[in-house]
Amino acid sequence: MGLLQEAIFGIVTGSYIAIAAIGFTLIYGIVNMINFAYGEYLTLGAFVGFFAASAIPVPLPVAIVVAMVGGGVISIVLARGFFTPINHTGPVPLLLTSIGLGIAIRNAIRLFGGRSARYIETETTTFRVDAVPDVSIGSVDLLGGFFVTSEHLIVFGSAVAVFLAIHALLTRTDVGIAMRAMGDDESLARVRGIDTQLIRDSVWVLAGVLAGLAGVLMAIQTNVSSTTGFSHILQILSAAILGGAGSPYGAIIGAYVIGLALAISTAFLPSSMTGLSSAVAFAILIAVLLVKPSGIAGTEVREA
Amino acid sequence: MVGSVFNIPCVRPSIGMSSDTNGLANRRTFLTLAGSGGIVGLSGCVSFGGGEESGGDDGSGDGSGDGSGNGSGGDDGSSDDGSEDGSDAPETISLGQPASLSGQWDFLQPGVSQATDAAVAHINEAGGPLDAELEVIRRDTAVDPQEARTVTTQLIENDGVPAIVGLFSSEINPLWDFLQDFEVPMVTPWPGSTFLDTRGGDKGTPEDLSDDEWMWRTVVGDTVHTSGSAVYALENDLDRLGVLNGTTEGERSYVEGFLSVYEDNGGTVAERVEVEIGSSSYQSALSRLFDADFDAFLVSLPLESAITALSDWSDAGYGRQPILSDPLAQQDLVDQVGSDIHGAWAGSPGQSGPSYDTFEEIYSEEGDAEINAWTPPAWDAMQVIALAIERAGEATPEAIERNLGPVSREGGTEVSTFAEGKEALANGEEISYQGAATPTNFTQHGNVFGSVTISTASENGFEATSEVPAEDIREYVAEGEY
Repeated sequence: MGLLQEAIFGIVTGSYIAIAAIGFTLIYGIVNMINFAYGEYLTLGAFVGFFAASAIPVPLPVAIVVAMVGGGVISIVLARGFFTPINHTGPVPLLLTSIGLGIAIRNAIRLFGGRSARYIETETTTFRVDAVPDVSIGSVDLLGGFFVTSEHLIVFGSAVAVFLAIHALLTRTDVGIAMRAMGDDESLARVRGIDTQLIRDSVWVLAGVLAGLAGVLMAIQTNVSSTTGFSHILQILSAAILGGAGSPYGAIIGAYVIGLALAISTAFLPSSMTGLSSAVAFAILIAVLLVKPSGIAGTEVREA
Repeated sequence: MVGSVFNIPCVRPSIGMSSDTNGLANRRTFLTLAGSGGIVGLSGCVSFGGGEESGGDDGSGDGSGDGSGNGSGGDDGSSDDGSEDGSDAPETISLGQPASLSGQWDFLQPGVSQATDAAVAHINEAGGPLDAELEVIRRDTAVDPQEARTVTTQLIENDGVPAIVGLFSSEINPLWDFLQDFEVPMVTPWPGSTFLDTRGGDKGTPEDLSDDEWMWRTVVGDTVHTSGSAVYALENDLDRLGVLNGTTEGERSYVEGFLSVYEDNGGTVAERVEVEIGSSSYQSALSRLFDADFDAFLVSLPLESAITALSDWSDAGYGRQPILSDPLAQQDLVDQVGSDIHGAWAGSPGQSGPSYDTFEEIYSEEGDAEINAWTPPAWDAMQVIALAIERAGEATPEAIERNLGPVSREGGTEVSTFAEGKEALANGEEISYQGAATPTNFTQHGNVFGSVTISTASENGFEATSEVPAEDIREYVAEGEY
């Protein structure tokens, strides 16, 4: 397989991460908290999607929408129940609360949802393109034939749709503009008449919707279990920080950098080191933060 | 100045807001540091690619990867007086069972729990060891070494159990010295690790505890059934191999055992790719693997990761013959991967012990949990411990350790259940327990030998299609090294 095929794998992996990382970084940027329970939001979204697809049952596209709606509802309920009451206490109590909440939700899912992994039934179609010429540099083939599956296309298509929707929201709607205003300066935004609590609630709902989508997409590719989201929280967190904490656009870039790093390092590391691909992604994260502490797309936060 | 977090300038703070922006800057700096710290903190709990953690099982644990310490929720309650006082006639004898009630191997536990419970019921119906009631205290370790450390300590020091019935390779290997220090016999149906090939047992000197290593396993080791699988592969002209395995102890051990026999007997490994468990995609790893030229590929991953990987393999249409590690011979794999997996086979410890039928009859009355490769060994583990207590006349760790070899090795009246053994011992006879999984003739290192069953995937699930006799495998395992 050529580098092009590896890039496709990396882009697909990056798409999963990007959808979730946008939600994560929106919370970071506007609510000013690192939500370590966000992985569980993905898990809950995956479970909602699974039950919609298998228990009701509804067609998969409808199940995905149900998961997104369910994710939004769950997110605002959890925020109102656990985060909003202590919002004034600052980032440390919020951070610690999110860690505790994540553990509690994960174990509650395990307790009530059972031990076994569940699977969402899908039919996958593979599309092959073999007419691409080989373009080699040394032993590396830059192009070459490749394949994509219907799942790959759904994931990538969903990610692109999310990117466009988020961009439109942030630049074309009052709520989005108010979110950006709060991200810049909450006090000033409040002085300008923005209902900051309403905007916070909107962010929680939006982050939950994105978590639901990412969760159900991951569930389609893998399975639904109590650790579906938790097992990806490091990737999501890393993408957000790598791209520039608080920046949705940065999170997208960070997610694709990590996805490509995972895919390409697996392909080209020595055989004995292929299990260390995630270490390569972390090394890139550290290197970027050393050179640009605010992340790829983040703006430096410094006083003159 | 504070830049926009969205990179789209929106509300610009005035000079008069500088103190607020300082606060924002500091808060952001803190959050960034906390986030980075969180990565470091969490990286000890989960694998990057996902965790089924897992497994867990990895030098440090193939557990559930949840990092939540959901460990020791005992579900059987605790015993009463047990045998702590070492009296000749205890009312109750409690044994401890570290179990995989959660975590990535939890799908194997129901069969083992049911076999254990069936054995306990059978033993008690036969009067119990020393006429006492036998009970098992079962606690969850999630196959996490740290949880196993805590649970084992609780069982031995708090509950005072004289023997342990359980523990996985992934728990035993990193905790070996710690477990030895207890000097409590541990008879386990789980571990296949080659680590135990020359560790454990009484070294053939039952009365001399000074050389004992207190670990016994009633399941054939990876060396045996991986050897059987390798032999079967070579017999079927699968001379070149690709390998896809996880980075955990159990999966590496399986592959190493397979390859040692495979390569020593003319097989060639064309490519080997190690992957992290719990990833959302294995396409990159498969792409690399299938660039190599080979006849068959060996997969050694936890079930959920294997389903993801083999679904990716099916989607990509790579073809070739899959060979699976024994825990993967599950209906879920066939259901989720689909018809492409038909023809894949796995070699697992044979269920050919002399008393298998007896076991199966009693087991089926206890419940409907599916029998897996570790289920009959769990039955055997309970039987030999109960028989060792009966022969010893007391339920202390030392007495049980001294009698595990004598009640199981060749010589004496062959018995297939505790009931038969208790009666024979009462008549003053020596006994040799004939197990459900294997004949249960412990080697000097506390291992057992048996045949290997080849199960092949079809539309009906995995069905036994061939068997490699124990004698054929024995020639590949050097005397004294197992």
